[in-house]
Amino acid sequence: MRRRPALPDFLIALLSAVALLCAVPASGMPPAPLPPPPSPQGNPTTPEKAELGKKLFFDRRLSGDGTMNCATCHDPESGYADGLGISLSYPTTKNWRNSPGLINAAYRKTLFWDGRSSSLEEQALFPMMSPFEMNRNLDYVEEVLKTVPEYVEAFRKIFGGEITRQRVAMAIAAFERTVVSRDTPLDRYLRGEKDALTARQRAGYELFAGKAGCAACHGGENLTDERFHNLGVPEDPKAKEDPRVLATARFVGKVSGFPDYRTLAEDPGRFLVTKTPGDWKAFVTPPLREVALTPPYMHNGSLKTLEDVIDFFDRGGGEDPKKSPLLKPLGLSKEEKEALKEFLAGGLSGKVTAFTAPRVP
Amino acid sequence: MRLVVKHSPYRYRDFSLVAAEASLAARDQGKFHEMHVLLLSRSPKLDRESLIACAKELKLDVPRFTKDLDTMAHKKEIDRDLKLAEGLDLYTTPTLFINGIKVTGDRPFESYQEVIDRELKLSGAGGTKK
Repeated sequence: MRRRPALPDFLIALLSAVALLCAVPASGMPPAPLPPPPSPQGNPTTPEKAELGKKLFFDRRLSGDGTMNCATCHDPESGYADGLGISLSYPTTKNWRNSPGLINAAYRKTLFWDGRSSSLEEQALFPMMSPFEMNRNLDYVEEVLKTVPEYVEAFRKIFGGEITRQRVAMAIAAFERTVVSRDTPLDRYLRGEKDALTARQRAGYELFAGKAGCAACHGGENLTDERFHNLGVPEDPKAKEDPRVLATARFVGKVSGFPDYRTLAEDPGRFLVTKTPGDWKAFVTPPLREVALTPPYMHNGSLKTLEDVIDFFDRGGGEDPKKSPLLKPLGLSKEEKEALKEFLAGGLSGKVTAFTAPRVP
Repeated sequence: MRLVVKHSPYRYRDFSLVAAEASLAARDQGKFHEMHVLLLSRSPKLDRESLIACAKELKLDVPRFTKDLDTMAHKKEIDRDLKLAEGLDLYTTPTLFINGIKVTGDRPFESYQEVIDRELKLSGAGGTKK
């Protein structure tokens, strides 16, 4: 066998530098401090409406069998998620996706992992209706809530009319818009407080915005590009063995108009909404403030810790040949990974709106 | 370490309540854990005949077990647990309290192991109950 001639050291160094540059994805919007949450003209947030929404958020009347409320899967003690890989499910059924945390949901342009809702008002009704989440008929829930005098009175005062599903959703959305974290060390750093990040967090932030390429998608005020990417996140092979998961996957495929729903055994993600081939297995970029509160990660909760997430991106994502071209191996050192973890865990953890449990009527 | 099991049979499942009764009838004969494991592995096939078959498999006193099952001998105990769960606003099974830390929902083994190991470490030698 012919031996390959050795490359001169300077050429190796040059090639390594070029490879490193190629690994850094094109930059998106740079991270920016988070402004106060929006209060939409069509549903302005008021303390009374948010309080009503909080009561509804915790009201088990919103589920078919009276055992679940919104907080079952969006528990304030777990970053408004549920700490499970796959979200909790309506009894006897199985969900198929991870419960996303709700902190800073106020700023989202689309909701759900596949972005099928464009407002919190629209989003709030989906889980109520979903057979594998709260499994409640909306006509029925309106009538159930109308039997509660305190609700009747509150809706009359706040909305000037009777209880409707739209107003239920508006109240819940108003509550959700109060769940905010915008005073993280990163926010303070970006507002000019240079010591807000520790030296290690700062090093992590520089990697986040530079070499590691995180900010290409996790940029802007809410640290998300609000776009959908296929990262090649592996499916859980065990999930396919559970007929309840298959039933859920096929049901969602069916109601989304996916022709081959009967054999659907994986999660097509955004494709179910747009039917665009490029969106196959693409999921929305989640915002990152308070990310340390909501393990495990990804749409199917397959990555347990922030370390696992960093390793995943360092490898250049998953194995899917159709994954996003933005993903390339990063070549992060152990120290760099630790700094990035410090930034994600410490630099993005601040003060979440204080929570006090409501008195559900 | 001490494990305390409370019953919260789901009201809309056909055999949930009678299965809770079966586990307590087995407990009275010293085989709660064995029955508990068997019931989980056989679920949802937990009708009366299947439960009696489980009792035979565990070599219990079957006439005594069947009588307990048919008379719902432990209903008061199960109702007491249900009331406790409702009082604590618990509707998801399983819900575990590990040294006071609430862990909700069916999770992988490692998830429980992590909390238990952390609590054992925090409590130090000899352990501290919360």
